[in-house]
Amino acid sequence: MNENRTSSRDSWADRRTFLKATGTGVLATGLAGCIGTEDGDDGDGGDDSDGGTTDGGSSPDSVTFGQPASLTGTWDFLQPAASAATDLAVQEINDAGGPLDAELTVDRQDTAVETQQARETVRQFVNSGDVAAINGLFSSEIEPLWDFLQDQEVPIVTPWPGSTFLDTRGGDKGTDDMGDDEWLWRTVIGDTVHTSGAARGMLDEAGIEKMAILSATSAGEQGWTEQFTDWYEQLGGEIVKTVTAQEGQASYQSQLNELFESDFDAWALSFALEDAITIIQNWSDGGYGGQLLMEDGLRDTALIDEVGETAEGAWIAAGSTQGPNYDQFQSSYQETSDEDLHTWAVAAYDATNVLALAVHHAGDTSPEAVQQSIGDISRPEGTTVTTFAEGKDALDNGEEINYEGAVTDTDFTEHGNVWGDVVVERITPGGFETEFTIPADELKEEIDEY
Amino acid sequence: MTDLTSRIEDLPGDAVHAGLIAVGAALLFLASPLFVQAPSGSLVFFEVGVLFVLYAMVLVGLNLQFGHAGLVNFGPVAFFAVGGYTAAVLTAEDPFQGVGLGLPWPVGLAAGVLAAMALGVLLGVSTLRLRDDFLAIVTLAVAEIVHGSIITFRDITGGTNGLQNVPQPVAGTTDAGGNAELVSTVLVFGAFALLFYGLFRRLSASPYGRVLRAIRADEQVTETLGKRVFRYKLVVFVYGAAVAGLAGALLVFYNGAASDTFFTIDMTVIVWVGMLIGGAGSDRGVLGGLAVIMSFQLLTRFFNDSIPFVTQDQFASIRLMLIGLLLMIIIKYRPEGIWGNADRLGVDS
Amino acid sequence: MEIPLAQEVIFGLVIGSYIALGAVGFTLVYGLVNMINFAHGEFITIGAFAGYLAVVVAGLPLPVGILVALVATAVVGWGIARITFEPMNETGAVPLLMMSIGLGFVLRNGMRVIAGPSSRRVRLDVATYRFDDLGFFVTSQQLLIIGLALAAVVVMHLFLSRTMLGIAMRATSDNEDLALVSGIDTRRIRNAVWLAASGLAGVAGVMLALSQGANPTTGFGQLLLIITAAILGGAGSPYGAVVGAYLLGIGITVSVEFLPSGLTELNATMAFVVLIVVLLIRPGGIVNTEVRTS
Repeated sequence: MNENRTSSRDSWADRRTFLKATGTGVLATGLAGCIGTEDGDDGDGGDDSDGGTTDGGSSPDSVTFGQPASLTGTWDFLQPAASAATDLAVQEINDAGGPLDAELTVDRQDTAVETQQARETVRQFVNSGDVAAINGLFSSEIEPLWDFLQDQEVPIVTPWPGSTFLDTRGGDKGTDDMGDDEWLWRTVIGDTVHTSGAARGMLDEAGIEKMAILSATSAGEQGWTEQFTDWYEQLGGEIVKTVTAQEGQASYQSQLNELFESDFDAWALSFALEDAITIIQNWSDGGYGGQLLMEDGLRDTALIDEVGETAEGAWIAAGSTQGPNYDQFQSSYQETSDEDLHTWAVAAYDATNVLALAVHHAGDTSPEAVQQSIGDISRPEGTTVTTFAEGKDALDNGEEINYEGAVTDTDFTEHGNVWGDVVVERITPGGFETEFTIPADELKEEIDEY
Repeated sequence: MTDLTSRIEDLPGDAVHAGLIAVGAALLFLASPLFVQAPSGSLVFFEVGVLFVLYAMVLVGLNLQFGHAGLVNFGPVAFFAVGGYTAAVLTAEDPFQGVGLGLPWPVGLAAGVLAAMALGVLLGVSTLRLRDDFLAIVTLAVAEIVHGSIITFRDITGGTNGLQNVPQPVAGTTDAGGNAELVSTVLVFGAFALLFYGLFRRLSASPYGRVLRAIRADEQVTETLGKRVFRYKLVVFVYGAAVAGLAGALLVFYNGAASDTFFTIDMTVIVWVGMLIGGAGSDRGVLGGLAVIMSFQLLTRFFNDSIPFVTQDQFASIRLMLIGLLLMIIIKYRPEGIWGNADRLGVDS
Repeated sequence: MEIPLAQEVIFGLVIGSYIALGAVGFTLVYGLVNMINFAHGEFITIGAFAGYLAVVVAGLPLPVGILVALVATAVVGWGIARITFEPMNETGAVPLLMMSIGLGFVLRNGMRVIAGPSSRRVRLDVATYRFDDLGFFVTSQQLLIIGLALAAVVVMHLFLSRTMLGIAMRATSDNEDLALVSGIDTRRIRNAVWLAASGLAGVAGVMLALSQGANPTTGFGQLLLIITAAILGGAGSPYGAVVGAYLLGIGITVSVEFLPSGLTELNATMAFVVLIVVLLIRPGGIVNTEVRTS
């Protein structure tokens, strides 16, 4: 009895201290903040979040980029290669003396590709981390956070999103005026481009007129499926059936069975790597046959290792994964990392280089200056450079530069997108072999705004 | 002894009054030209603070259900999601994908709460007669069905793209920039959370609450005493659903867009963990527990790259391990929760 | 003559077998230790990695690999339970549940720190047997998983009905206090339960390593289905769990056939619809045994 009584008292005391501590904390934070009236303020909010600003001209000790990353959660298997490629870029950049002669660091924080965590992470980067820019974020994080990301006014160059949402959003709108800027750029080719190329390739080059699709439900895969269906039907093909399935199942036999009850010339697989391998094995075990076309995200060396033989002869359609600087990148990558390489990782390498060059071009790390420099260092005027080292030298000599990336030539459109040829490759046990190429110029005729 | 405990629980005056005053003051503050800027570097704390007060609303309902009446609801996120998506579908204007009716936000807010309550009634009537553990699994299953439906019916919900262009009523009251909006949001949502805390606390301290605890202790005895156990359970269940629906709608109005990843099983895990490490049944304790787990989640982010021999990539996993370890340690030494009452929970410490 | 739905039912038996191996162990723990073990999925993951190490890294034949994974997971699972759950066995169901949530976090993420997030697959030469007249095919891998699940059920049945320990286990499940009074060593029983549950999880893990690959969330991904099957069967009843698992498996695959195009992804969600429907019709689960409530 007695013991119980004291323990109740103790816990009450605990509670009071706890409340007191919390209360004091909140109060203190509140008071330390600035209280003002809207009349007395010109409306820009006195936002002190651009703490990364250094006085123009003087060199900071270090430059930090924030990298929201899929380190845990459903998409964790995509991150190792992206991390390795980013780290490779950072290494090369620092070997060349770094942007503004400062050391470049990347603050990589887990978002698990969840909207709320992405939001918190971006807040932390911008407000507590003094980052000059952000190099990351997935479609499913960007779309619900679009307004929020615009309010942050920090340049974001991301290797992940293929979404058509970004076809008309992002970039600097091709003007020097900051007022119309939308702070997001992507170094990976959008779905619009490579699905239109894939559809064209299937109809014009391969003569396939009826297709079926097996698709996952995630933002990236769903986006691919919808875009591909649109283009394919617009060009005169017929999608006879679409079977959708949730990720992470132990077997996809029943979905395949359902799909193959229809009659078609080829089937498309829009799934991320891990499940795609399961599906291809199920497909092979079931002996369904048929020509397979895979989405761009599966262009991963792990696919060859796992099902290079099983899926031999299958096609994969991807926006050209081999920009001007690809070979050089690939040989350095293989020296530093044995993580299986995919397109997004190559694009992460580009994103990091673009941002580092933009910082060096800007002369300081203020978000506005970096944002304005992104177009300047990547678009096709000036000396062509393929590495940070070359670009830094050229900039220091007072030249304008045009960075050519490893995944594309990184010539950003007004909406911050990149173009590339679409290549249909054949899977062989030894790797990907080019089947046919649909040049970007042909696709540009079809696509109005991108 | 029970007297003493309940006296202590009652001590600090009336939270309902405090809540009402806070809500009034917060609304006045919104209407006034005053604004507060958060100090530099603190925004991420306010960001998590918004989520904390929203989860706190869900938690006071959940605590009434489990801590007081013993109902195991493993699907609070179902009501949270239904409230959020109902509000978003009704109020979004021209989203990228899915339906947006563009109605004014108060309509969305009311409909969100009503939809969550409707789900609560439907679920309550059909399943509250089931055994505890079956109720637990049914609510868990309903949450999975709701989440699966959000992703599947993408022509309505936008699927994994989410629903954009939802009105942001709190942000609309100040033009002093994102920083001031954040502070206003914490103040307003916090005031509502306090009010609900007060209301639910008053309910649990009343004779009504005593019946609930009697149900928790022994349902059959309570039934023979002439209390209509089923009706009590149903009401508690629907109250919890309503407040969770409200919180879901507020989250969507705060963010200006709905996203399926706001409404995953992770949310259920966090509020349950908060409730159990705080001490289920203790109204203040559960909020303390939620604060402990959410601040631990946030603070560990700041140790990124500061541990020798650990890469940033490894740290992300280690951070989650530490959270698991924290739970294990708390539960090992305080099985009834930090501020919990072992006797009342039937926990043998 | 083609048998309608034969193919879907076979696929359902395969999915059901994965679930059954997990659900039997889960439900034994539920009935005898009186806890919902949210870390059960991680025991399966341990089995998947053990199987990968044995078959791919050490190059053992698959049957030996399965045996190695069974023993290794049984011992590791039992050891973990001894350290974490056993000392607080008397505290009741809720703290044990919390402990298992925390343990799940630690194990899942610990394995990611050590092994990384990528899948490691165990590859097997698969033979396909076609019965085109009857309208279905079956592969050697599918027969293996179904066979293993059935073997596990038979062994479990013999154990529970023919051995002293098994009979004592059933007695304890029915009424622990009475079992204590009759001189049954409940501690010994709990040891046996943890060994059996983890061992079965280990076998499930190897099978998943064959189909999906071993990664830190292999088992966690199956957990909801496993819990659903166990509860569906009438929590605490191993036989019920098996029936529940196959019902779910068949529900998941057959529904693909009937769902309209574009909504086929709801098939996994159908498992939970099946659960709710069954519980509303039979509030005690399929095998209507009265077990202790948590």
